[in-house]
Amino acid sequence: MDATEIPLKPPSVPTDVPTSDVEQIERALIDASTRVPVLMFYTSAIVWLLIGTLLAGFVSIKLHEPDTFSGISFLTWGRLRPAHMNVMVYGWASMAGMGTAIWLMARLCRTVLRHPLLLVAGGGFWNFGVLLGVGGILAGDSTGYQSLEFPPYAAVVLFVAYSLIISWAVLMFRFRRGDQIYITQWYLLGAFLWFPWLYGAAQLMLFVVPVQGVMQAAVDWWFANNLLFLWLGAIGLGTAYYMIPKVIGRPVYSYHLAAIGFWTYALFSSWTGMQRLVDGPFPAWMITASIAATILTIIPVATVGLNHHMTMQGYFPLMRYSPTLRFTVFGAISYTVFSVVGVLISLRSVARYVNFTQASIAYSHLGLYAFFTMVMFGSMYYIVPRLVGREWRYASLIKLHFWASVYGVGLMTVMLLPGGLLQGANMENPSLAFAESTQTILPYLRGRSLAGLLMTAAHFIFAFHFGLMLLGLGRTSSVPTFLNPVEAEGSEEHL
Amino acid sequence: MKGFVPLVLGIFGTFTFSWVGLILIPNLQIGHLDPQMDEEGTDIYPMPQSGMAERGRHIYAANGCVYCHSEQLRAEYAAADLDRERDAAPEPRPKWGQRRSAPRDYIFNRPVLLGKERMGPDLSNIGKAAPADGENAAPAASPGASPAPSASPAGSPAKASPAPSASSPAPAASLPPKPANSPAASTSPAAAAASPAPAGSSPPAAGANPAPTAQIASVAASPAGSAAGVEPKPGEPAPYSAAWHHRHLYSPRSFSIDSDMPAYRFLYEKRPIAGEPSAEALKLTGRDAPQAGWEIVPTYDAECLVAYLMSLDQSHPLKEVKSAAPAALPAVAPPASPAAAPAAGKGTK
Repeated sequence: MDATEIPLKPPSVPTDVPTSDVEQIERALIDASTRVPVLMFYTSAIVWLLIGTLLAGFVSIKLHEPDTFSGISFLTWGRLRPAHMNVMVYGWASMAGMGTAIWLMARLCRTVLRHPLLLVAGGGFWNFGVLLGVGGILAGDSTGYQSLEFPPYAAVVLFVAYSLIISWAVLMFRFRRGDQIYITQWYLLGAFLWFPWLYGAAQLMLFVVPVQGVMQAAVDWWFANNLLFLWLGAIGLGTAYYMIPKVIGRPVYSYHLAAIGFWTYALFSSWTGMQRLVDGPFPAWMITASIAATILTIIPVATVGLNHHMTMQGYFPLMRYSPTLRFTVFGAISYTVFSVVGVLISLRSVARYVNFTQASIAYSHLGLYAFFTMVMFGSMYYIVPRLVGREWRYASLIKLHFWASVYGVGLMTVMLLPGGLLQGANMENPSLAFAESTQTILPYLRGRSLAGLLMTAAHFIFAFHFGLMLLGLGRTSSVPTFLNPVEAEGSEEHL
Repeated sequence: MKGFVPLVLGIFGTFTFSWVGLILIPNLQIGHLDPQMDEEGTDIYPMPQSGMAERGRHIYAANGCVYCHSEQLRAEYAAADLDRERDAAPEPRPKWGQRRSAPRDYIFNRPVLLGKERMGPDLSNIGKAAPADGENAAPAASPGASPAPSASPAGSPAKASPAPSASSPAPAASLPPKPANSPAASTSPAAAAASPAPAGSSPPAAGANPAPTAQIASVAASPAGSAAGVEPKPGEPAPYSAAWHHRHLYSPRSFSIDSDMPAYRFLYEKRPIAGEPSAEALKLTGRDAPQAGWEIVPTYDAECLVAYLMSLDQSHPLKEVKSAAPAALPAVAPPASPAAAPAAGKGTK
């Protein structure tokens, strides 16, 4: 897709500012340079989001109505599920995350984006890789490894695409101005460097020189968990560290706390993963190490949470107005909830019941949706107007999007966590037939489908709104779109 | 943070630390296991699977069976997996397994399909749950107590001639001519290689020893048990036989209305009967049955998938794993457990 052809109004460079205010002009120039690649990543991400949402609908409904379309091979549940999962992780989450990361990197390195075509080519290759992979899965070519279902030929394409993107990121870092490396940059640089190592190591150890037996599962879960934490999680946290202080116009509460949070996050969250294999055919120490690491992730969670909270202190009412802040703060709070749930379900006494149940689906959605996706939505609400030079057209659509997403993911969690616990309790009771445990979860799965309906509505509303922006149909205004009319003056200038 | 270099070193360091700790060291510990064998070098477990079962494994992975079925049993102190019974089998039902899964069980598996969710039962021993005797597949002859009479003859030839017994469950479980080839092909290398073992002292095949017979027999059961249990109706394949798997894949709810498994009809082919009805055609009733003159036959993929399912068996004792201790089991199925436990002990010597 050629993003250069999108009829966009270039962001207006303010010319009437005093010459001392070079910063503003500099920012506008940087935004202009990132316009094409970032919008290309965002557009692709949103298209993948819609595809993934439709696939999710099939997955959710077929789980309680197994006879729907069961005669068609590429619509069988066991292929739709990995297709949905991979579209969301590699199509939506990774592309949205990279789009945001590119923009943030350019802004924070205070340098104009060089060679945007490199990025556009990378994005194109990435899209092609995801398409190839999802097509492969639906055609019955899935590898069977969680989060690595893409057939190896698609993985190769993704890798080529990624090397184009990362070489750009390193280049940008190389040309950065200023000594200070901001917190967000730690996380983004970490994510950009961790991902290729993770992906490369996993591909190497599963497909090129495969490890023996159960070690494949260990590599697989090590990868899947680190993909969530070190790749998407790092981008999400980095974005939150930028957006929250930026919108409220106040520096991060504590720089040292942030440093502690980052390094403990890198250290502990990378050691999690094996707790998903609890009591499986592995040496017990591996699992215990991961459970201990999961418990220790409370340290980064608490420091990051405290830091955000103290930064926001006194500014919470701004969430009434700023879409970015509302989405980002919701995501940041969800990160805490996600981590606490992660700790709880990793404890052996709880895992006994929730392992092998739908509770793990709730957990993944807390991380990938309530935390990461919401932060990405927030960043898009901030960045897109700066790229297209228009403001979001309808505050009502943003509100609808927010509440449908929140109620959707909330309902899903409320359905699947207790549902999974009941399912597990029945599974742990050998005097009940096994079918009893799957029958128990059925009403909760229907509730989940309802939640999916809400999320589907949210995504289509957002895609429509984004499309309007892309077509230049946003508002021309010097003030951003507020969710509610602003009564008081001042303090909102950064929104 | 000041420097770029310390940052990158730190990022690299944490990654390496995690990789060494969770991948490299465990790989040194459990990444290079050999099959277990006794002193004579016989009674080897596990064995590589046949080509058909291997192909079936990929079909299993590609169609996402792994998202609903696990292939791992947790230890008795960790979960109730070992107390669980197979719902579809007649009483007394076979357990999901007699011991927890161990790394050695999986050394030839690629991809290894441990599974993360159980919307369906665990399958680590599903091949073992198959009835010992193939005549069960067509129990129409003895509608009343279908599995029972056929089970006992199954036990005796097994005792008499160990080598055939090792291979018998697989082909026997399927329908006569062609499907007989498929599971047979799947297990026969294993069986053939295992066959020297019965010549030696240790009892690899379940039928060779009175105690494991209890396990096998519990599948098809004593007459008393089968009378009480969910008995296959006349014309229905015996639970967990190859024919049963085929029909289950084609129409899961024809066996249990509570099943939430999707049907895999695209793995089956509907074709007009040319001359004689095909032997591998599915025996379907009611709404599932094709119109007259047509039959439903498994594709090669379906044959492979079933061959793979029939090959799943972790019942062989492992030295490093304690098999179900009598103390752990008396709550459920007392007849099977005391018998099985000493057997396991004997197996490991």
